[in-house]
Amino acid sequence: MIFSIALIILAIFGAPLFTIIAASAMFGYQNEGIDLMAMAIEVLGIASMPMLSAIPLFTFAGYLLSESNAPHRLVRLTSAMLGWMPGGLALVALAACAFFTAFTGASGVTIIALGAILYPALKQDGYPDNFNLGLVTTSGSLGLLFAPSLPLILYGVVAEISIDDLFRAGVLPGILMLVLLSGYSLWINRHNRKPLGSFSWGEVGSALWEAKWELPLPVVVLGGIYSGYFAVSEAAAVTALYVFIVEVLILREIKIKELPGLMRESMLLVGGILIILGVSLASTNYMIDAGVPQQILAYITEYVSSQASFLFLLFIFLLILGAILDIFSAIVLVVPLILPIAAQYGVNDFHLGIVFLAAMQLGYLTPPVGLNLFIASYRFNRPIMNVYSATFPFLIILMISVLLIMYWPGLSLWLLSD
Amino acid sequence: MLLAVGQIVLRIFFSYGFIWADELVKLFVLWIALIASIAASRSNRHLRIDLLSHFVADKYARFPRIIVEAFAAIVCALLAWHSWRFVQLTIEFEDSILVDFPAWIAYSLLPLSFVLMSYRFALSCGSEVVRAVRPDEAAE
Repeated sequence: MIFSIALIILAIFGAPLFTIIAASAMFGYQNEGIDLMAMAIEVLGIASMPMLSAIPLFTFAGYLLSESNAPHRLVRLTSAMLGWMPGGLALVALAACAFFTAFTGASGVTIIALGAILYPALKQDGYPDNFNLGLVTTSGSLGLLFAPSLPLILYGVVAEISIDDLFRAGVLPGILMLVLLSGYSLWINRHNRKPLGSFSWGEVGSALWEAKWELPLPVVVLGGIYSGYFAVSEAAAVTALYVFIVEVLILREIKIKELPGLMRESMLLVGGILIILGVSLASTNYMIDAGVPQQILAYITEYVSSQASFLFLLFIFLLILGAILDIFSAIVLVVPLILPIAAQYGVNDFHLGIVFLAAMQLGYLTPPVGLNLFIASYRFNRPIMNVYSATFPFLIILMISVLLIMYWPGLSLWLLSD
Repeated sequence: MLLAVGQIVLRIFFSYGFIWADELVKLFVLWIALIASIAASRSNRHLRIDLLSHFVADKYARFPRIIVEAFAAIVCALLAWHSWRFVQLTIEFEDSILVDFPAWIAYSLLPLSFVLMSYRFALSCGSEVVRAVRPDEAAE
């Protein structure tokens, strides 16, 4: 008990999470009289998880994309296609960010790569400043539920469910979030109905032509994944190789000598995620052996009987969790424990996954430690309290959509029933 | 140097990416994970609950930070020690992977990387102590 409290204090003081997890697993093993060599075996378990190679590959591809001029081309293309609508630029921002986040793995690069283009453009177009700040901050994690985002892949790996099906389950809930946010943006700017420009086939054509090298990417990758033609790890390898060839060898927007630095930068994130995964394998095994999920289950069944109230409890729990833990650590640590509990309440695995990720997406925006808030504050040079308040209305909209996703399982499961 | 190692591993990884030597790819993922987390220790980029640095003045955060880095160093040292024992065991039993490649060569990165991480955390713990004791010198 004292040991756990000490660990929690250390975690709040900012000890690397993997050391906290490793310490608690070692403590548990020690108490059970298991040789601590087992730690090494568990960490080596990383080498036996399927599909994991997708994570470094997609991360690398995402960093390459965000360092090239692809964000500019993406914004231009979306403006050409959506800009004619009233409030067009806000919609452009949402759509472009969702797409970009899905491809770059929800690690905050969207705000840096796309926000830097969109934020000044929104301002120039006469949108209120707080709205812009909130919109850009929120958009940074918007594509989370669309393939091939990293949290989806990690969830599939950890929960041992089909990643392809999980991708399919995420489509409609992701669209719901987009639609609600778009509706809100249009409503806020109902007095500023200025379209970005009139629709012109010429502009669409030239924007398409400019993006000709990147265009096959979503078609091949998304088509391949959603149709089940590619395994996720294969899609990741294809994406990384293709992006590398296009951005480095054909367009030459990234110089060869920048490459090692870029690789290192992208792998820092991967290392951070995977080492937590490794030590969590140990702690999770210990907790499952010790029957922790059953204990939690026994405890909550005393108070909670229906699935609906269980889901609500889960929602509150995930909000708190998301506010203190980043999404990757949360998946690795918590998913193995709540899976058996949720199954007892008859929650579908895929539905649970989408609910989990959608709720954790809020965590990017919830004070005190939401990642997007800090990135936006840093990137746009605004006080953190200002970012909190600007993002708040968007947070409410997203909360509503998470509740909708939660109590409407059909939305997640629709595309699965074939 | 770490950079170079990471690069080589990645390069091999990319060229092998299409030959589905599944086990090999998985081993590379493990290696990338370990090498990258050494790099993350070095650049102070491990995932943390980062409350202190955002909300507490640098001066007051120093003491907790010393404790935290020392703790991380100790945990990594323990991990290194026990994984080293594990590697010794695999040498003894002549475990092999990838048909008949000795397993310990692939696994020995495990203790090595934890040793390096422990060393990194110890270093940053030391530098925090130095800064706490002699604030003027650190400012230079």
